[in-house]
Amino acid sequence: MKDRLTPKNIIFALFVCFLPLLMYGIDAIALFLSHQDIYLSLPSGDYMLRIIVRAYLYMLLAIGLNIVCGFTGLLDLGYVGFYLIGGYTAGLLMARLGVSYWIALPLAVLNGALWGLLRGAPTLRLTGDYFAIVTFGFAELLFRIVKNEQWLIGGPNGLVRDIPPPAILGVVFNQNWHNYYHILILLTLVVFIAYRLQHSRVGRAWVAIREDEQAAESMGIDVSRYKALAFAVSAAIGGLGGGFVAQFQVNISAPFFEFWESILILCMVVLGGMGSIRGAMIGAAILGSLGEVLRPGFIIPYQFGGSRYLIFGIILILLMRFRPGGLTLKKA
Amino acid sequence: MAQFLEQIINGLVLGGIYALIAVGYTMVYGIIQLINFAHGEIFMFGAYIALMLITVFGIPFWVALPLSMILCGMLGMLMDLVAYRPLRNAPRLSALITAIGMSLALQNLARMIWSARPRQFPSEVLPTIFLSQNAVSLPGGATLPYRDVFIILLALVLMVALNRLIYLTKIGKAMRACAQNPVAANLMGIRTNRVIAITFIIGSALGAVAGVMVGLREVVTPTMGYYKGVAAFAAAVLGGIGNITGAMLGGIIIGLAEVFGAGYISSGYRLAIAYIIMIAVIVIRPSGLFGRSTGHRA
Repeated sequence: MKDRLTPKNIIFALFVCFLPLLMYGIDAIALFLSHQDIYLSLPSGDYMLRIIVRAYLYMLLAIGLNIVCGFTGLLDLGYVGFYLIGGYTAGLLMARLGVSYWIALPLAVLNGALWGLLRGAPTLRLTGDYFAIVTFGFAELLFRIVKNEQWLIGGPNGLVRDIPPPAILGVVFNQNWHNYYHILILLTLVVFIAYRLQHSRVGRAWVAIREDEQAAESMGIDVSRYKALAFAVSAAIGGLGGGFVAQFQVNISAPFFEFWESILILCMVVLGGMGSIRGAMIGAAILGSLGEVLRPGFIIPYQFGGSRYLIFGIILILLMRFRPGGLTLKKA
Repeated sequence: MAQFLEQIINGLVLGGIYALIAVGYTMVYGIIQLINFAHGEIFMFGAYIALMLITVFGIPFWVALPLSMILCGMLGMLMDLVAYRPLRNAPRLSALITAIGMSLALQNLARMIWSARPRQFPSEVLPTIFLSQNAVSLPGGATLPYRDVFIILLALVLMVALNRLIYLTKIGKAMRACAQNPVAANLMGIRTNRVIAITFIIGSALGAVAGVMVGLREVVTPTMGYYKGVAAFAAAVLGGIGNITGAMLGGIIIGLAEVFGAGYISSGYRLAIAYIIMIAVIVIRPSGLFGRSTGHRA
């Protein structure tokens, strides 16, 4: 990373920091306009802060998915599975066994990575559509399990309740601004790791595999090993996001981890441009915080509720048609 | 014993429905190597279109069914024209993502138009023979509704017709040629894009029939295309993707497995059984149980 402090990178860092604020503004206006018949005041800062935290969380997840989708060029339709594993690992450890968050979070990351490897092992040979299908099936199976196995989860439809907030020396971190700095630190860490990986031997190996697997193999790249590494790192980041969301949401349940969540994250990666960390972040910032704008009642009339995903679908189609490289990359 | 017999019938009916949907997946995959995720949504639209024709426009069932097939065929062709044709030479990943986007868009369009409320074909507008109390009694106390007989027979007739179409007609020959090698077929004077459009029309029309069949037995919801679509896709994979006969047999196997799994293991895992079979087949034997006649990669 020779270009560490180029003006471009500084501008981008500022952009990432302020994009959620910009979105905050747009969301605030949207909420204001849509609810003005109910009350004539801006929504509370805490509510907006939660939207920003979610946007950062999606940035983190999009970077994780980008490692498999963007760097190694395999379409992962089951990324939400690792998010689920992270969430339930941390949630169950904290709510049931009273494990401290600072131990549960690394365990969630490790468990995510472990499952990334377990899922990766049989899929190493697969390419393209078949890989996509297996990953999809994997996430759906996990979803069914948390929905059905009540002896394990202990609540209807996979609900884990009352996950305690993290604490250090008696200071309890349960405010929204705590979560804001918390996710910002995690995100910075993940961005740093992802950038270092991308610009290292490993990252170049991944790109080589994406461009031509056979050529990469004949150049002496151990394709299986590098693919497994990509799966593990990507899944670990998913587990990290899940671990965070467990304490952020206090209660987690199966519908958090439905298939469409995977597609939403994929949509973010594709929007920003696959293979680009900045792209993933921009895509996540846009889609992750546009939620309020697209909520029924503002641009979209009330009777068309739930049409957010219709717009996401159209975005995917239009992007692939007119700008397959995403918003940030040059036209492929 | 009666329960067992009824489960077998349920499995066969479900299997016939899956087979009709699976054929749509497998035909498209055989020619353009694209998993058309939106095919499940076409199937869902088939059910809704028939429902609307019957309830809103008061069209009799026997007219609404073919009309729904035609409209869904048009929808499938339009989908190919708008979304997939421009990406014919793009990387396969782009087309796959487009298909997912299409599925997402159509499913939520249906939710916007018809709301998420489950609907049923109202019993007073259906031919009386389809009411569930009209049934044959089988030995052992089991019953076989005429409705199920109709579904199995119709599925069978359509399958045979499709098979004949592909192996005996000129357009079928063109389809097989395109599946083997689209470029060579094009050079031999086959209009590849037209053949692909016809493939989409046939697949979508069969999907629409399956949608109406589901509507006769269960409820119609915007998410049915997603759930049933995945199970049908599992059937296509099981039969060897690109292999039409395999898809039919795969449909029956998945249907039976699902019904027996739900009956004897746990109803919460209905769909999980299809997923497990699908993953196992892809990982252990990617060419499917019956090999594949077309298709180019594992």
